Amino acid sequence: MPESMIKEGILATDHTNADDQEEKKILFYHPIEIETNEKIRNVGLCEAIVQFTRTFCPSKPAKSLHTQKNRQFFHEPEESYWMVMVVRNPMVEKPNKDGKPPTVEYQEEEIIDSVYGSVLQQCYSMYKLFNGTFNRAFEAGGVELLIQKLEKFFYRYLQTLHLQSCDLLDVFGGISFFPLDKMTYLKIQSFVNRVEESMSLVKYTAFLYNDQLIWSGLEQEDMRILYKYLTTSLFPRHTEPELAGRDSPLRPEVAGNLLHYGRQRLDDGRDGFLTGPVNLKDPDAKFRFPRIIVNTEESYEELHLIVYKAMSAAVCFMVNATVDLSREFCEQLDGLVGPQLTLLASDICEQYNINRRSSGPEKEPQFKFIYFNHMNLAEKSTIHMRKTASVSLTSVHPDLMKILGDINCDFARIDEDEEIIVKAMTDYWVVGKKSDQRELYVILNQKNANLIEVNEEVKRLCATQFNNIFFLD
Amino acid sequence: MERSKIRGSSEFLSEDPLTESAGVSDRNEDVTSESWRSHRKHVFVLSEAGKPIYSRYGNEEALSSTMGVMMALVSFVQASGNTIQSIFTDDHTVVFLQKGPLVLVSVSTSRQNEQQLRGELLHVYHQIVSMLTQGSINRIFEHRKNYDLRRLLFGSEKVLDSLLEAMDSDPSYMLSAIQCFPLQPSSREVLDQILQKAVAPTLVFSFLIANNRLVSIVQEKTVLEDGRLKPSDLHLLFNLIRASSAFQAGEIWMPICLPLFNYNCYFYAYVAYLDPECTVCLVLLSTDREAFYAMADCKRKIEEAFVTLNALECLTNSQEYKVEDVVITNLRHFLYKPSNVFDHHRLLPQFTCPEMPVAYRTQEERICLMDEYRNLYNRIHRITRPLKLIYHSAEGETLLAWVTSKFEMYACFSSLVTKKSAISELTKLLRWIRKEESRLFICHIQKHSSTNQSGKNSSTDRERSNQPNASETGLLSLL
Repeated sequence: MPESMIKEGILATDHTNADDQEEKKILFYHPIEIETNEKIRNVGLCEAIVQFTRTFCPSKPAKSLHTQKNRQFFHEPEESYWMVMVVRNPMVEKPNKDGKPPTVEYQEEEIIDSVYGSVLQQCYSMYKLFNGTFNRAFEAGGVELLIQKLEKFFYRYLQTLHLQSCDLLDVFGGISFFPLDKMTYLKIQSFVNRVEESMSLVKYTAFLYNDQLIWSGLEQEDMRILYKYLTTSLFPRHTEPELAGRDSPLRPEVAGNLLHYGRQRLDDGRDGFLTGPVNLKDPDAKFRFPRIIVNTEESYEELHLIVYKAMSAAVCFMVNATVDLSREFCEQLDGLVGPQLTLLASDICEQYNINRRSSGPEKEPQFKFIYFNHMNLAEKSTIHMRKTASVSLTSVHPDLMKILGDINCDFARIDEDEEIIVKAMTDYWVVGKKSDQRELYVILNQKNANLIEVNEEVKRLCATQFNNIFFLD
Repeated sequence: MERSKIRGSSEFLSEDPLTESAGVSDRNEDVTSESWRSHRKHVFVLSEAGKPIYSRYGNEEALSSTMGVMMALVSFVQASGNTIQSIFTDDHTVVFLQKGPLVLVSVSTSRQNEQQLRGELLHVYHQIVSMLTQGSINRIFEHRKNYDLRRLLFGSEKVLDSLLEAMDSDPSYMLSAIQCFPLQPSSREVLDQILQKAVAPTLVFSFLIANNRLVSIVQEKTVLEDGRLKPSDLHLLFNLIRASSAFQAGEIWMPICLPLFNYNCYFYAYVAYLDPECTVCLVLLSTDREAFYAMADCKRKIEEAFVTLNALECLTNSQEYKVEDVVITNLRHFLYKPSNVFDHHRLLPQFTCPEMPVAYRTQEERICLMDEYRNLYNRIHRITRPLKLIYHSAEGETLLAWVTSKFEMYACFSSLVTKKSAISELTKLLRWIRKEESRLFICHIQKHSSTNQSGKNSSTDRERSNQPNASETGLLSLL
């Protein structure tokens, strides 16, 4: 097995103002230890590259730079603010005979641009969720405030990035929806309405069950990044803190839980507030709700994020940040929401178990597939057994995941319905289907199958799970 | 029909390669204009000192500042012990290649992958070497870093233009193989013998080309043992001849270096057309600059033999075959490259493909189809995750790429095809190719009759032994 180097992320943001000196342009640079001159050089290179590509296309400048040893990704999230991420190419040392030093070979093909480009964009979205836009910060408190915010956020956030486990799902940035019957869905809907009516301070609500979304009142783009935060940061930290870390082993009983589509269980018995007054009973404990900023294009709203949990259900209440949320408010919320949510959660659980029983016990999902719908951001993967920021357990070889990435790149080239079937060297078959705004990737481990048989298998999958969605033969 | 007979069915060349066509650049094009920016593929060649040498579109002098920036990027990255390789934007890919004192840059919207674009730049570099030799280039820049190489390349822009255009629409570059003129083995043998007998002391290679397809090739035995003639060299040779002498009656004598064979020395090429319509071309390569008359003498012998045996007949009468000849409904076009079929095949990789169908007659459509093939090629031959088969159905067409130990094949079907019919058509196609094999490919490379008769070549490095021949159906069950 070739040894792969752990990639490092270096992020530099710069505000290209012609009057500023070179050094002043750098708003954030990681790792901090790097010499200033070196930083300036690197930033200068990025500027030169972007400028150069404008010669050929003024409106769409550079997105990435490939060199032998590393790859750099560029992103301009707001006008004249640039983000750059540098990722090292994995290296393989090939031993040489005659006592010569081993030759180093850089494996550039292992890095797929679309994946890491998306990761960089997500970095910005996550920053924006908790800090608002760069421009706002600059307007409010000048460069100093902006620098402060960037440092505070990215220093921590970069440590949570585990670039080696990034794959196609990062390109999608989708949301996993919990499948529900109509009755239960309506119950949830009316619960949300009731709470919003009785507590007029609540502006938006989102309802999740076991890592999956059921209902959200937020704009899609905002919910997308909030979902990522909840499922990769808040929930893991709370329920199974050792799994939120980087190199933690899995507990055996947890592994059992994971097998069922890898849905993480929130039901560790601890209910109540996940943000804010985690321990409501202690009257002296101070608390603070995290603040998020949404709708940055239009109304630019800053909100308190209240996350309340009962068994496996979690509800997010978002309240205008100008309101001061007192202990009384929290107790009121606790009293109102607690019992109703607990009831609802057990209802859902019951429905869920009924469904499971009727569809038969599944030790392991029959088909390995990934599905994504660009319109509602719905994603579903039976390949990932666990996906957080730091860990990604997939049940297929990473090379196959990269083949999926390649097919996704092919799909992105044209806006037509397409189907790509591929047979890998290991005799695995990979099928990619794109129809309207939906993409489906299936991996089949049927070495002796031929094209027709593979086609039939996929048809069967589509008939059971994706009725009437994919039409191409 | 008549017209195509006169000019030869140059399927992969536009009608007038040297004058009005989409690919030929207007050297005075305004480099700040939108139309310049929107060209599909720019290629720039500059020296390490940042001096412009060539630009496909526009005047390279007007681009000297842009080229200066390119050189700056290259050296900046080099300064930190790294090598710049490429830059990606939404639409463009910029690829860098440094060979010795020359830097080549491609700016392309063709969606080809980096390796392919770099391969094309390498061809451009080799074409320059074919005109100057690598040794000279290196020496010149060693003495004078600021040397303006255009002084030596004056008038050769059209050779590079023609190469770039050919690379866009000719599959031979992508496959690194030669497409031969389909001929009955008996006829080909006759022609081989004619060439074989016309020898001279310094004659090393003899080629007979008809309608831009290789008909016959004869080599000098000892030369063969030194190194194989690679398809890349042949492409450069043919391109050079085509760009400098297409449809010109009379004899041409010009130096040419074959970079992959020997990048430091010149061969001297004697080029003459054997028919009044200039479709049948004879090329004799000699190692001696003074051997013109000896070569002309060989040509005369060949001409006489041609007249005696009425050889021109079979060359001017043969046509490209069409997909329809194979009697298949949905298949529009294909490329087939055998790998281990003949022993001698390793000496000269070849491929075959039919005439372009009606749907792909314009240059633009051809390039589109080639782009699709190139994309398949990239994916299937990817170094770290190569594939065995790709089946891609889209609204415009259905494409298939298939690599086995015996061959690689790329096919384009109409989008109406079902998987079942695609497979049965492929079966039919493979059977047809097998039947026609001896006609479609050059099976033996002859040696000059002044040397040993032995057909064996002892110095070729043997690849791993052939696998036992699978029957067609056996092979297709894998599909």
